[in-house]
Amino acid sequence: MEQTQTILGTIEPDITKRLVSRREAILKGAAIGSSVAAGLAMMSAPIALAALSREAFGQGTPLSVQQVIDFALKLEIFENEFYKAVLGISSVAAQNTAFAAVRAMVPAAAIPAIQQIQKHEVEHVAFLMANGAVNSLNLNGSSFDFTGGRGTGTGPFAQATVDVNFLLLVAQGAEDTGVRAYKGQAPNLMTNPAVLEAALRIHSVEARHASKIRRLRRMTGASNIKYSGTITGGGAAAAGAGNISNPSAGAVTALGMIYAGEDNVMQGGLDVTQLPNLPSGIDKTAAATEAFDEPLSAAAVVAIVQPFFIPSLS
Amino acid sequence: MSDDGRTLLVSSTEQLWKSSTRRSFLKMLGVGGTIVLAPALFEACDGYSPATAPGMGGGGSASLNLSDDIGILNYAYALEQLEAAFYTAVVASAAFGSLNADQQEVMSDLRSHEVIHREFLKAALGQKAIGTLAFSTTAVASTLTSGAVILKNAEAFEDLGVSAYNGAGKYLKSADYLTLAGKIVSVEARHAAAIRDIRDAAGVTGGTAAGTRFAGDDVVASSGATAGLDVKLEPSSVLGRVGSTGLLTTMVTIGASPSGSATPDAGPPSPTP
Repeated sequence: MEQTQTILGTIEPDITKRLVSRREAILKGAAIGSSVAAGLAMMSAPIALAALSREAFGQGTPLSVQQVIDFALKLEIFENEFYKAVLGISSVAAQNTAFAAVRAMVPAAAIPAIQQIQKHEVEHVAFLMANGAVNSLNLNGSSFDFTGGRGTGTGPFAQATVDVNFLLLVAQGAEDTGVRAYKGQAPNLMTNPAVLEAALRIHSVEARHASKIRRLRRMTGASNIKYSGTITGGGAAAAGAGNISNPSAGAVTALGMIYAGEDNVMQGGLDVTQLPNLPSGIDKTAAATEAFDEPLSAAAVVAIVQPFFIPSLS
Repeated sequence: MSDDGRTLLVSSTEQLWKSSTRRSFLKMLGVGGTIVLAPALFEACDGYSPATAPGMGGGGSASLNLSDDIGILNYAYALEQLEAAFYTAVVASAAFGSLNADQQEVMSDLRSHEVIHREFLKAALGQKAIGTLAFSTTAVASTLTSGAVILKNAEAFEDLGVSAYNGAGKYLKSADYLTLAGKIVSVEARHAAAIRDIRDAAGVTGGTAAGTRFAGDDVVASSGATAGLDVKLEPSSVLGRVGSTGLLTTMVTIGASPSGSATPDAGPPSPTP
């Protein structure tokens, strides 16, 4: 029967040549304009996708599978201990005390969600350890300064202990960073398909968490956040901190690092805003940034989270 | 393939749940045979998505060679076509007006994102892309009969999308394609959580405790060795679910199985959107 025949042929060399020159044109910042439709029509996957997709934010020195799961374990312990402190169930009394005031301000409807998220984080910790990840720094509840002050307790995120809107912003930042971190490490897990699949399944759970926190924030005054839970634009603006009064300069800088590059609209060498058949009347740039989440390198993630870890991560 | 006894034709929703069909289905998976997911309703193509590609007249067919990355990307393209068609129909439906402003914003944004995913994959695949899939007007209309029905189907589509990407990532050979798939799947997961949260607020509690449906125990394993892990489905399972909806009049077949070892499925609970 015809439908079982392959519809895929071979790549034509002349198309490859054209695509490579198109890539070079894009790299040089050539105007895309009205010729884009014709250009897109002759695009061929292997070149078009591969050409420009190794973007800066996914790069870095490749980690081994062991290094990736050890790194993931650090992040999961951090998230778990953060939510435990917020919920008042940390084994470290001082961590619970620090969040006592803001805990009382968390909307009752948000508590089951935070509990569910914390449950997943502790499960992620257990999963990674059961699969060989090593807690080489012996991280525990007392290893963290959730103000982002490396143990001073007066870091740029101290506002999270007194301002519930800021607390939720920190949770959002932690989840979105987790999503970006796993995404950035996926290529380093390709040699072990089982671990890769598990990591992808954790990655999407982190994305569900991030989406929920974003919806919570929209419902409590963060009007520039989308109900869809997706990330619009990039840099500090993508945090949607409009409902935060007087965030510290350090917090704004950190948010800029968390969302750096999320405003990317070039995917696999294609300008997503120039695709044909997009719905009319939409903000194409906003939608293009929302439709794709961007990875972060391990180094970029370490730079973001180090202030919350008292031990050195490097 | 039809003359070597290794093609199974599934032509109706009910058939998929008959034990004899299921046995054949599993047997086919075991021998790497072809499973043909025929539409429940063979109708002329409708306005949602006309068949325009060569060889796609009427309902047509599309064969996926999942043994290479192009086939996996075409598999994603097929699923994105389905999602984009659904949300495009949603925002044009009568029931859309019954949704509140929050829900309408989500539906409109999801429509934009899924259309972008579809058009991106189509453009990126270029001449390697499968054709435009055709849909059954009747079946699509049945997914849009009320706001609640729309939301239920949206949840099923998004969870299925997450399952599909999570299950297919391990078969990709190119790190660049894996990264691209990763960029899309987390957005699908954000969508799934948003839709689930809307349904949670509306009192839908099947399988989940109140306030937790965004990442409920019905999709994120809550016990055993995979506790804390999200849904995943092998491509054959995803296409089986898609086929059983009767939404497509284009037959999507697996021409070649993925190269690599399948893992046990952990799919979302609802068998069909």
